[in-house]
Amino acid sequence: MEMQARVGRLLFKNPVLTASGTFGYGREAAELYDLSLLGGVMVKGVSRDPWPGNGPIRIARIPGGMLNAIGLQNPGLRHFLEVDLPFLRHYDTQVIVNVVGHDEAGFVDVVRGVHGQPGVAGIELNISCPNVADGLLFSQDPDRAGRLVGLVRQETSLPLIVKLSPNVTDPVEIGAACQAAGADALSAINTVIGMAIDVERRRPVIGIGSAGISGPALKPVALRIVYDLARKLDIPVIGIGGIESGRDALEYLMAGARAVAVGTAVFRDPLAPPRIVAELARELAAQGFAAVDEAWAAANPEARRRQSR
Amino acid sequence: MRPREIRVVERLQPAPDCVELVCEFPEDEGPQSGQFYMLSVGDGRDTYLPRPFSFYRVFSPRRLSFLFRVVGPGTRFLAGLRPRDRLQAMGPLGRGFPLPDGPERAVLVAGGVGVPPLWSLARSLLGLGCEVTALLGARTRSAVLGRPELEALGIQVLTATDDGSMGHRGPVTELLGGIEADGLYACGPEGMLRAVRDIAAARPLPRTYLALEAAMACGYGICLGCAVERAQPDPALGAYGTYARVCREGPVFRWDEVRI
Ligand SMILES: Cc1cc2nc3c(=O)[nH]c(=O)nc-3n(C[C@H](O)[C@H](O)[C@H](O)COP(=O)(O)OP(=O)(O)OC[C@H]3O[C@@H](n4cnc5c(N)ncnc54)[C@H](O)[C@@H]3O)c2cc1C
Ligand SMILES: Cc1cc2nc3c(=O)[nH]c(=O)nc-3n(C[C@H](O)[C@H](O)[C@H](O)COP(=O)(O)O)c2cc1C
Ligand code: FES
Repeated sequence: MEMQARVGRLLFKNPVLTASGTFGYGREAAELYDLSLLGGVMVKGVSRDPWPGNGPIRIARIPGGMLNAIGLQNPGLRHFLEVDLPFLRHYDTQVIVNVVGHDEAGFVDVVRGVHGQPGVAGIELNISCPNVADGLLFSQDPDRAGRLVGLVRQETSLPLIVKLSPNVTDPVEIGAACQAAGADALSAINTVIGMAIDVERRRPVIGIGSAGISGPALKPVALRIVYDLARKLDIPVIGIGGIESGRDALEYLMAGARAVAVGTAVFRDPLAPPRIVAELARELAAQGFAAVDEAWAAANPEARRRQSR
Repeated sequence: MRPREIRVVERLQPAPDCVELVCEFPEDEGPQSGQFYMLSVGDGRDTYLPRPFSFYRVFSPRRLSFLFRVVGPGTRFLAGLRPRDRLQAMGPLGRGFPLPDGPERAVLVAGGVGVPPLWSLARSLLGLGCEVTALLGARTRSAVLGRPELEALGIQVLTATDDGSMGHRGPVTELLGGIEADGLYACGPEGMLRAVRDIAAARPLPRTYLALEAAMACGYGICLGCAVERAQPDPALGAYGTYARVCREGPVFRWDEVRI
């Protein structure tokens, strides 16, 4: 099976990446399996300065997944460059740096710091975290999203992926603004904003109240968005949301994703990413495909027509 | 730490709503007292994430048990397992109780379902020549867990119940008043842990260790869901050091390491 996956300028040995925030910087997973089995890793969001994250409670269980409100706790750019990135360089996999900021300057500073560092394959702009006060600032307004992407574009020639939020009326409108501003690819989706109530304590379970829904419950939401992005835009899409099996990954490819990222599934099955790589190869063969590329948009004729134009 | 399949070999019911599952592991295990495992709890409604459980008794290097009270869907699933059923276990996880360098007077304090990590700890402390006393607290007599199992190790066990139906009437921490200790090891509800911490501060008793709980998704350090505030953040980490991970830096912390 030809497992190579191309996402614009990015070439992955297989289309299975780990999603940002559910993999740390790879150290813990590396105790369990060889990270070189992965197409790529999208690291936990990196900000210019260290961020503390939200107070507890940060996690709640819901049917078909979970809620999280971590609040982008991360050790900051310097720590990432000095400690985390050197660790990841030991592995033969593509490292995508997930970047966060409170404002435009915050994003730009991290991108500047990451640009030119050996071992960085690309950048993913996280404009869609629902768990920090200003997290959705750039993801809900096409003008602000486009402006940010434009500013970052001037700083780096690295492949630039923009991670979209489902918490908007029309994700395609935001994606189009990112494409126009020079994004190389889109990743979709970040978590859907939600809530759980603790009946005994008579308050939301999560300390800050609302939180992001992830896991299998998210898959239909994400598939629809990936499908629409693929048929209406020209830049490639990385599908994220509730992927637990090779078959789930294949659904995303058929919907129009060029690659996928696995998030919450690793909490249930720490070995999920390499397992999904193996399962996907079998699923592709079972469907008569000889290569990942052949499955692309198999269920999305408009996307295929658009590409062949 | 590794994920693998384990098999239930025996199911005991030490109290009406409590179950002890004795499980067979595929290889020899050597967990530290206070470490835990993430157990899969089926794929039904509300059971997507695995749940954290301390191991309880050790019968042989491959045979450990888990003790829990049925409080929700995950524990209900586990309570429904029978011998020969299989489940996924990821572990051993976290940092357990540090053992003293030599013999000491050790006091173990458990509230509610807090006894699991203390059974194997009592055994290790006895092995070091320590004088071990266990204090068990619960709402009422039928909810006192682990008494015969701890007594079988040959240690002194005192009990306290809220309704006075067994032992002292009142919080288990009141039993600490009359007891000399060099080391204090506690596991139980947050209120009890705070009381133990206050006693550690007042005496002072630096060798006081608390086994914490937190809502967890992964159990192995990658989700950052299990945050607890550090009392003395490492300045080198900046704001990032505000919170520690209960699953990785814990679940056992010295009383003055965290703000609870
Ligand atoms: C390191 C660690 C070790 C543990 N060891 C044991 C053990 O040996 N035996 C045992 O019985 N339990 C133990 N627990 C607690 C156990 O994990 C929870 O009781 C279990 O997850 C409940 O799952 P459930 O689906 O049955 O209930 P849920 O429906 O998830 O919860 C039932 C009720 O308990 C509350 N709750 C659930 N989890 C927690 C939590 N972590 N902290 C505070 N409140 C909570 C919920 O708010 C709810 O009201 C441990 C927890 C941790 C973090
Ligand atoms: C605990 C947790 C932390 C996350 N942290 C980040 C993050 O730092 N940056 C980011 O872009 N997305 C983050 N996400 C979102 C995931 O990358 C992913 O988009 C989302 O969870 C949907 O995929 P899933 O259903 O496979 O988890 C986080 C998700 C979870 C559950
Ligand atoms: S439970 Fe995931 S980091 Fe602790």
